[in-house]
Amino acid sequence: MLDYIIDLVIIGVSIGMVYGLVALGISLIYSGLDIVHFAHGEIYMFGAFIGLTLFQKLALPYVPTLILAIILTGLLGMFIERVFYRRLTSGGGGYTVAGMAMVVSGFGMSILLQNIAFLIWGPKALPFPVPHGMPIEFGDLALPMSYVWIIGTALVLMVVLNLVLKKTMIGLAMRAVAYNKDIAYLSGINVPLMISLTFGVACALGAAAGVLIGPINYVQVQMGVGILVKAFAAAVVGGFGSLPGAVLGGVLVGVVESLGAGFISGTYKDVYAFVLLIIVLMVRPAGLLGVSIKMKA
Amino acid sequence: MHPVLPWLGGIAVLSFLPLITRTAYDQYLLNVIAINVVLAVGLNIVKGFAGQVTVGHVAVMAIGAYASAVFSVHLGLPFWLALPAAMAVCAGVGLLVGIPALRLEGAYLALATLGLAESVRIVISGTEWLGAAMGFEGIPPPHIGGFVMETHFRYYFVVMPIAVMGIYISFAILRSDMGRAFKAIREDQLAAAASGVHVAKFKLIAFVLSALYAGCAGSLKAHMAPGYLNPNDYSLQEMVTLLLMVIFGGIGHIWGAVIGAIAVTIINDLTQDYYTYRMAIFGGVIVLTVMYMPRGIGGMIEDFWVRKRFAALRAATKARQAAP
Repeated sequence: MLDYIIDLVIIGVSIGMVYGLVALGISLIYSGLDIVHFAHGEIYMFGAFIGLTLFQKLALPYVPTLILAIILTGLLGMFIERVFYRRLTSGGGGYTVAGMAMVVSGFGMSILLQNIAFLIWGPKALPFPVPHGMPIEFGDLALPMSYVWIIGTALVLMVVLNLVLKKTMIGLAMRAVAYNKDIAYLSGINVPLMISLTFGVACALGAAAGVLIGPINYVQVQMGVGILVKAFAAAVVGGFGSLPGAVLGGVLVGVVESLGAGFISGTYKDVYAFVLLIIVLMVRPAGLLGVSIKMKA
Repeated sequence: MHPVLPWLGGIAVLSFLPLITRTAYDQYLLNVIAINVVLAVGLNIVKGFAGQVTVGHVAVMAIGAYASAVFSVHLGLPFWLALPAAMAVCAGVGLLVGIPALRLEGAYLALATLGLAESVRIVISGTEWLGAAMGFEGIPPPHIGGFVMETHFRYYFVVMPIAVMGIYISFAILRSDMGRAFKAIREDQLAAAASGVHVAKFKLIAFVLSALYAGCAGSLKAHMAPGYLNPNDYSLQEMVTLLLMVIFGGIGHIWGAVIGAIAVTIINDLTQDYYTYRMAIFGGVIVLTVMYMPRGIGGMIEDFWVRKRFAALRAATKARQAAP
């Protein structure tokens, strides 16, 4: 019984790390640009497909695949931001009219990206066969290597993101832009570039999540829809806009989902995240780490 | 002239529409258009008038459709009772969705409703007695005595008057003080509250009204021949089509929503064979409309009239000044 619970928790934590990475991107965009990006699930899906293509067509090993997919998807994100969203974000985000337009526009973008992916890669769920090697054994427990990879890579990415944001000049500039765009302008920061960069980094994190989950799940066009709700749930549970909160929320959502599937019913697996989301929104909208919700005043 | 008369005239004129259609498929399309008009007009109330971004409207419609189906199949209610019962269920759902909306601003609301939309679909496709993923079949068509409206031709005379009535009620709401309260909330919530508008109450009313419309549309869809429902008809893709109707037609314009519903349904039907391209184009059109035509077709038409009226006014002023 205990072994079963530990198994479920391990699965939950590793899936939760993936949710956390996507939620991290959503939170980054929200704190930096004041918009909620509804097409982030599709960015994650694109990342997984780009990774799969690199892995199979170019026969690259796993780590270069991961890095290249991250970079390419980051560039794709910057392109999308520059071409489609700039007009809206320059009008101000948040609860202004442009912010609401952003929600609708992101929704349209997600359908657009989904169908472009459908045209390129087809409707089939494709396997992403990565030889990770034998599971690690701890007594009775067997920990598959793919989970080790997910947790390890996610942790490395989070540490790198934290270092970039806290220790480098670019990170400082990005945080300044997130804090106040006008003052950032006055301090001589190239605000539009930083906005693009924030968006690109967020998309890169999504791509990393996609490539990481590929080996334990199939890669398919619809994979973005489900993760969006879960990543949003993760971001809200942790406190929307808070970066450590996003990771914590992701792990929590993953564990709740895994335990729910194990003990209640696997059919409604995708609903638990939503239930958690609603409970948190009703009881404590600020999330666990308690960011103050931005209100227009 | 009584204000309802033109609408009755409209119903009378529209009654001749199925006569000029050639095939049963065209009549089916007319019915779908009418149902979509009800849906789009309803979404317009919460989104266009009150400015609340909800993407869970398909879920409410699905609940309405399945509630109506359950009432008529499992409880044996006739259509004329199942329709209001389903609408009542949806009003309750609208209230439930509206309560978090009181605390949640903009984007949060969109998140919560997105989750709702997906969850409702997943729960329906996992529940055996709702037909699960196979769909719910054998929903009886409405009947008056022995007169059964099983063909699309007959069903049209159920759907069309309801759609026209829906448009009329929507106009009535917009003209009333309730409509002005909605618009005040949309423009500026704080200013509306400061002017004495009970923001929470009117937000809830907007959600319930739009849920009533969605429930009505869902129930109409359920009882239309062949009386079959599938959970996949209530996916996010459908929500995009629905959003497109309202956004392309012009947020906040009733005729815009009607035009959008008609146009999108027809385009949707004509491009049946190019499914993926169509959805990609729909998504692209939403993105571009939001960017370049934020007020949609309705807004363009309004601008045209305003400009024309100003031009006439200017010409009149000039003529008056020229005359001694």
